[in-house]
Amino acid sequence: MDRNIIHINVADFAVAVERRLDRRLTGRPVIIAPEGAARAVVYDMSEEAYRAGVRKGMPLARAGRLCRDLVIRPPQPARYEQAMADLLRHALPYSPRIEPGDRDGHLFVDVTGTSRLFGPAVDVARRLHRQAWKELGLDPIWSLAANKLIAKVASRLVKPRGDYIVPPGDEAAFLAPLPVWLVPGIEGPDLIRLRELNLTRVHQIVGLGAARLAVALGRPAAEIDAALRGIDTSPVLAVDQAAPRVALDHTFGTDVHTLPVMESRLHILVATAGRRLRQQGRVARRLAVAADYSDGRRCVRQVRLEPPTANDLALFPAARRALHLAVSRRTRVRHLRLICDRLVFPPAQLPLFAEERQAVLRQNRLITAMDKIRDRFGGQAVRMGSAWAG
Amino acid sequence: MASSAASSAAPSAPLDTAPACPLRVGTSGYAYLEWSDAGFYPPGTPAREMLALYARQFSVTELNYTWYQMPRAGAMERMLPKVPADFGFAAKLTRTMTHEIDPHGWRGKAVQFRDGIAPLMQAGRLLSVLIQLPPTFERNAANRLYLAHLLDALAGLPLAVEFRHRTWGVAPVFDELQRRRVTLVAVDAPDLPYLFPTLDVVTNPDLFYIRFHGRNARGWRSGNMQKQFDYLYSSDELQQWSRTIIPKMAARAHSGIAFFNNHVRAQAPLNAKMLMAELCTRSSGRALH
Repeated sequence: MDRNIIHINVADFAVAVERRLDRRLTGRPVIIAPEGAARAVVYDMSEEAYRAGVRKGMPLARAGRLCRDLVIRPPQPARYEQAMADLLRHALPYSPRIEPGDRDGHLFVDVTGTSRLFGPAVDVARRLHRQAWKELGLDPIWSLAANKLIAKVASRLVKPRGDYIVPPGDEAAFLAPLPVWLVPGIEGPDLIRLRELNLTRVHQIVGLGAARLAVALGRPAAEIDAALRGIDTSPVLAVDQAAPRVALDHTFGTDVHTLPVMESRLHILVATAGRRLRQQGRVARRLAVAADYSDGRRCVRQVRLEPPTANDLALFPAARRALHLAVSRRTRVRHLRLICDRLVFPPAQLPLFAEERQAVLRQNRLITAMDKIRDRFGGQAVRMGSAWAG
Repeated sequence: MASSAASSAAPSAPLDTAPACPLRVGTSGYAYLEWSDAGFYPPGTPAREMLALYARQFSVTELNYTWYQMPRAGAMERMLPKVPADFGFAAKLTRTMTHEIDPHGWRGKAVQFRDGIAPLMQAGRLLSVLIQLPPTFERNAANRLYLAHLLDALAGLPLAVEFRHRTWGVAPVFDELQRRRVTLVAVDAPDLPYLFPTLDVVTNPDLFYIRFHGRNARGWRSGNMQKQFDYLYSSDELQQWSRTIIPKMAARAHSGIAFFNNHVRAQAPLNAKMLMAELCTRSSGRALH
């Protein structure tokens, strides 16, 4: 049966939330930034500010020069969470399968099979939009498609406002003429490589086929090929279902600026994350490190884990790489977050080449031994030497 | 309930309701998942396969998704191979020109609509563009002007207008539609005082157009579409049309289309077939005499 996935997306969410509280901000260029902080940067901006050239992460001083009559509001995470909760509350009567984003004003609602109760999915989408406007003062973009990927692309296409329906079966035809950067899951290095090869539209890349795409990108590309054909089987998670990821946080007692100290703490986070993944019987395909600076700015960097892994010995080099990318400023860091997501079942096959295979087997044996010690003597009983540094 | 589409007979040809007036009968929309539950489509039929199955039983449909979203030429082209060569379409005008009018942008939307619907026009399959106006669209100076401009912007397309506010049910309106050769849509709806009355006025000698919304007055007041359109016409109720109103309208037009909008639980295709059977009986009865 075709699925009916609605994507609700409040563009420039933080600004929209501020505007519903203060209508005077409507139509004016607004940016969200911690004004008092030294070297503050833009967290979010309105469409007017965007058109004037303001971008996320831009230093506030520069944004002010681009846009004379700018209004600045400080980030208010609690307000955004409340607004998300309101959106979720309005969507709940229509389906238990609702997947909200992370305080970013978007959610997926799976209304497959509910037409007998609520009528056609498109009417549910319109009703959600009308309710969001009437009762929450928000004007979300909405899209309707047979999977999350297509719904998300459709939303991106009509930004900053509007709606879009992609009939079931039209996914490939819908994507074909679009620029490839609109498709979620195709990341920076891949986009750069494709641009170097003059491949900018979806139909150009689909024409290559998965095998030649893998050669072009220098890595397995079956997932990207499927995405470009509009195939996405990922479910919309039930609202009470935890997102399949492992996320761990550490707040430093005193803000730090030395990488060795941060790496040492990261080791401990990685060890805990790895253990949790192994306990769940999963491996991660992606790892991200988020660094929260003392001036309120957050920087998130992620790395792909190829092959997917739950082994600390493979996780830590990736985490270290992500940390070095995330911590590129001299400002002190207050808080670190480690996220391992895109969880899958461990691959059945070991690497093909003997040397690689031996390395993986050695790592697996070591980590299994460490797990046994921890099972018997507690989580702190054994650590990697590098975790003690700093 | 209705038999499985896979085992049904070939689609009925347009019916003769008067010596030279074929009438096509179909439903408003065809891609309802609940129609599989009701047995009209085989269980598990995906939405993309429904048009082809529908076209085995009916020779016309009214596209209602074009109300939600502007038609796109590519999507229209992709529909044509799924249906027989003589299958016809009526298409609802997009809501941005009827229910959610942008005073500055509607002209652009009219152009987009023309472009989007062009493949059906060029293939000779577009029987009508249905301009359904909202219940709040009363006959006042501003709305009269808007409607006149809208009809101008869409001139050349086979247009039909469905009014929902009673104030439009007057002779000067019919005369103007007649002058423009625009079809006035006749409706069958619940007996509620604020709804547009059932009329048998024919303003366009090329086409008459009937929409059956069902007569669920209580459901209508609820505002819930699943209740509003939950109705099954009885044979007697359909005979009011087949014996009197349709022959009268058919005598004044070359062709006609009729759509059942009571889509809940696949009552629409069932009623469509009942009406077709009624009209066939009448035609063959006339032929005998």
